Amino acid sequence: MTLGSDLQDHAFDLLESGQVSVVIGYEVGPRNRVRPAFVRDKDDVDRLIWNEGCHHNLAVYLREHLKPGDTDCVAVVTKPADSRAINVLLAENAFPRDRVYVIGIACDGEMPVVHDMLLGERGDTPVSDPRADELSRLDGLGPAARLDYWLSHFDRCIRCYACRQACPMCSCPTCLYERDDSLWVGLGTGLDEKRTFHLGRAFHLTGRCVDCNACEEACPVDIPIGLLNRKIADEMSRSFGHRAGLKPVLSPIITILSQEEG
Amino acid sequence: MTDSFEPKIVGFLCTWCSYTGADTAGISRFKSPWNLRAVRVPCSGRVAPELIMRAFDEGADGVLVLGCHIGECHYDNGNHRTAKRLPVLQTLMSFTGLEPERLRLDWVSASEGERFARIVREFTEDVRALGPCDWRQKVPLSDVEMVGGVR
Repeated sequence: MTLGSDLQDHAFDLLESGQVSVVIGYEVGPRNRVRPAFVRDKDDVDRLIWNEGCHHNLAVYLREHLKPGDTDCVAVVTKPADSRAINVLLAENAFPRDRVYVIGIACDGEMPVVHDMLLGERGDTPVSDPRADELSRLDGLGPAARLDYWLSHFDRCIRCYACRQACPMCSCPTCLYERDDSLWVGLGTGLDEKRTFHLGRAFHLTGRCVDCNACEEACPVDIPIGLLNRKIADEMSRSFGHRAGLKPVLSPIITILSQEEG
Repeated sequence: MTDSFEPKIVGFLCTWCSYTGADTAGISRFKSPWNLRAVRVPCSGRVAPELIMRAFDEGADGVLVLGCHIGECHYDNGNHRTAKRLPVLQTLMSFTGLEPERLRLDWVSASEGERFARIVREFTEDVRALGPCDWRQKVPLSDVEMVGGVR
C-alpha cells in the first residue's frame, strides 16, 4: 500500500460516511503539475495523490470552506508546516476545531502538530538549510549592501498578490495594501510602494508565520519573501521564545507585556 | 556639503504625555534642536509600521516615537503593544538596509521637559553622525497620484 492509496481509502470512508462534505488534497493538473483538489464525491477519490510536488499549503482554503453558520465539516491533507498554520488559525478563532478533519502527513523529519489521522513516515530532517545560510550571509553585509539586495528583488515585484493569496494567515476581508482609500499606503507599482507592501506584509505575519514558504513558492518573479518571514520568526524566537503554530496561541505581539517582559 | 547636513527627524508624539512634554520643554526654556517635525498622535500604539515606512519613504533621516512610560498609558496598554512592535519593525527594516539607529522608541511623560529635550538632542546628533539616509535616495519615488492627494 502506498501513501497515496491509503489517502484515497481514508478519503472514501470520510465521504461515504458523510463525516465530511469535501476532502481538500492534491491532484495532477494540466502539464503534470500538482494542484489543489476539492473532492466532494466518493467516486472521485482516485484523483487524490501524494508526491514531492505537493507543496501548496492547503490550510489557506479552510476559512472559505468553514464559514460561520454552516455546520458541515472539511477534511484537509496537511503537512507538518500546514498543521502549524491550522494551530494559528484555531488560536485566532477562524473556525472551530471539530469542523476540520486533519489528515496529517509526516515528512521532512517532522510530525504534524495537529492531526486526526496520521500517514507517512517521519523520515530524516534535511541536513542543509539554504535559507538559514542566506540569512547569515545577508546579516554579515552592511546596511548599504542589504538595501541594494532587497531593492533589486522588490524591483521585480508586479504586485500580483500571489504571495498573499497563497498564505493561510493573510485573511483580511480587504487587504490594507489593496484599499483605495488608504492615506499611507500606495496601490501603485513604484519601488517604494512595493517595498512597503512586502515589509508590511511580513510585519503583519509577525508571530503568525509558520514558515511554510508557500508565499515564496507562489511568487512568479522569485522574490525571496521567505527570508523576511524567517528573519522575523528568529527575532520572535529570541525576544519572546515564541514559535508560531507549535501550540494554538496568539502572536505575542498583539498581547500586552507580561510581568517578566515589563 | 556634509558640514551643512541637517537631518530631518519625524517625531510621533503621544498627545497625552510626550506632546505635552514638548510643551513643558518649551515653557521651561530647555533648548532642543529644530530638526524634529512633531506629529501628534493619540497614542504611541497608533504608530503603525506603515506610518514609519512612509516617513522614511518621504525623506526622513530618522523617526522618533515617544510615548507614555509603561504603566501610564492613557488607554491602559497601548504603549505595551508599541514596546513589542517597534523592535520587530526595527529588525525588519535593519535587515532590508536601514541603519537601526535611525528609528528610536522612548518614553517621556508630560512633566519631563528636560528629558524630552535631551532625547531629541541625542537622537538628532546620532542621526547627524550617520549622514543622509539612503532608504529614500536609492528609490525613485513613484509619481502615482495617491487617493486624497497626499503625495
